[in-house]
Amino acid sequence: MQKIMIIEDDPMTREELALLLKNESYHPIPVTDFTTIEEQVIEVSPDLILMDVGLPDKNGLALCADIRRSANMPIIFVTSLDSVMDELKALSLGGDDYITKPYNIPVLIARIKAALRRSGVQDEPEILEAKGLKLNLVKGVISADGRNIELTRNELRILAHMMTHAGEIVSRADLIDTLWEHQIYIDDNTLSVNMTRLRTKLEMLGFFNFIKTRRGLGYQL
Amino acid sequence: MKFTEFLSDRANRLMLGLILAASTAFFLHATGTQDGIIILVLVCLSAISAAVQITDFLKIRSRLNELEAVMDGLDKKYLFAECLPPARNAYERRIFRLLRRSCKSMAGSVSNAEASRREYREYIESWVHEIKTPITASRLICRNAESETGRKLLRELSQIEAHVERVLYYARAENPEKDFLIQKVSLQELTSEAVGNHKSLLIQSGMRIETGDLDYAIYTDRKWSLFILGQLLQNAARYHGDIPHITLSAEPSGNQVQLLVKDNGIGIPSHELPRIFDRGFTGSNGRNRGGSTGMGLYLCRKLAGILELELSITSEENCGTTVTLTFPAVKPDKGEMQRTM
Repeated sequence: MQKIMIIEDDPMTREELALLLKNESYHPIPVTDFTTIEEQVIEVSPDLILMDVGLPDKNGLALCADIRRSANMPIIFVTSLDSVMDELKALSLGGDDYITKPYNIPVLIARIKAALRRSGVQDEPEILEAKGLKLNLVKGVISADGRNIELTRNELRILAHMMTHAGEIVSRADLIDTLWEHQIYIDDNTLSVNMTRLRTKLEMLGFFNFIKTRRGLGYQL
Repeated sequence: MKFTEFLSDRANRLMLGLILAASTAFFLHATGTQDGIIILVLVCLSAISAAVQITDFLKIRSRLNELEAVMDGLDKKYLFAECLPPARNAYERRIFRLLRRSCKSMAGSVSNAEASRREYREYIESWVHEIKTPITASRLICRNAESETGRKLLRELSQIEAHVERVLYYARAENPEKDFLIQKVSLQELTSEAVGNHKSLLIQSGMRIETGDLDYAIYTDRKWSLFILGQLLQNAARYHGDIPHITLSAEPSGNQVQLLVKDNGIGIPSHELPRIFDRGFTGSNGRNRGGSTGMGLYLCRKLAGILELELSITSEENCGTTVTLTFPAVKPDKGEMQRTM
């Protein structure tokens, strides 16, 4: 599991951010003692640091420059200062990315993934598997028993979301949210159409009732 | 200064000169001086007097021209008194001193007003900065709760955020300082980020969004453009019709790219179209639906003006509205912009 250090002075934001990262299957390390951050960084050696710019003792920018002297994991600034100068300063002092509050949460997660990928520690799965069905995210193909069927972009995203949340009930609203996050702007009716098409393709591979409808709640794998 | 103005200023003195000349002539005549000599004396006196008056006039005129040139050369006219040439005589010295006192008091008021304006803007910026921390925390709480209540609260939070953003950009647009950065931006990423920012409002209104070919690189400030686009999307979501739908498409035209935001909403009555960019104008749609501040489009126009973007709107009632935003671009360079996300 990848370790992400959270340097943020607002306790509520810090705790909730830690919870969010945990749900996204990262290992969050919230920092509560702001006087010995450098030592903590060396001790823990996180894969990525999320850093607020306005900290109680020291400015996050100065801190970033200090950390950079001994370590080179990606540092993402998370701040509510959104002027151009702040951003330029942050990036020139060794920050890898700069996100302004209140952030769009999917964007934050995408940026974390991108930063980890650039630093070479990301091991995002290319193939998802559930109940004997394989989904290749790169090729957009489902396969079982050596037979392949190609999916459309919408179907791929729906199935990928269902498979990463296998066993959980996924509401229609959740699915629409996820699709919008992937720039697929569909409404409720279109989702039904896509779901029907996806089920037909699954049946062609012999997976009947692979995605169950939970009346009034959503879908479940 | 005209010569006639000068003469009317000097009328008293000229009259006095004439009276003196007449009485001198009378005195000389009475004491038996020859008429020829009297005429000679009068001619001499008039010539000397005319010469004096004309040199005076030329001096005053050149002095006034000099002062006017100083004034014309000034960017901030109220600093005139600071740039005056040295006084030539006691009278000028006194007048200049009065001018300086008046300008000093004026400059004081101006700099006070500027300082308080700047402080107000700084306060708004720092307030917005502060309020974003609890909004962020609330967002994370809602997200982690993952329930219907959380989703509803997220929508309300987006509303709060939209209002906060407008306050920030109002402060920025009314007191423009150079705090934007024109850079190369991918239109594709810009639009998808704008849609992402207003996702919950758009989904709630049952919106479908179609995107055309947006693979263009444009030159603009990313945040300001995001704000403008966000306002347009919010309007489309707020004033939607049945089966709401937005089309985002782009058309190159020379060194520019036009972004078209087309909706099938309730449209704007044609007689209200000329006033939609006015500050505080809400129109019949705004009044009927409520919650309109009349600030969104006003800010869009203002910010677009500062960024030198063209913003135009065409609309037909009950059919929909099309907003065209024209960005500078070098030329369509397909595929060059790498997607970062």
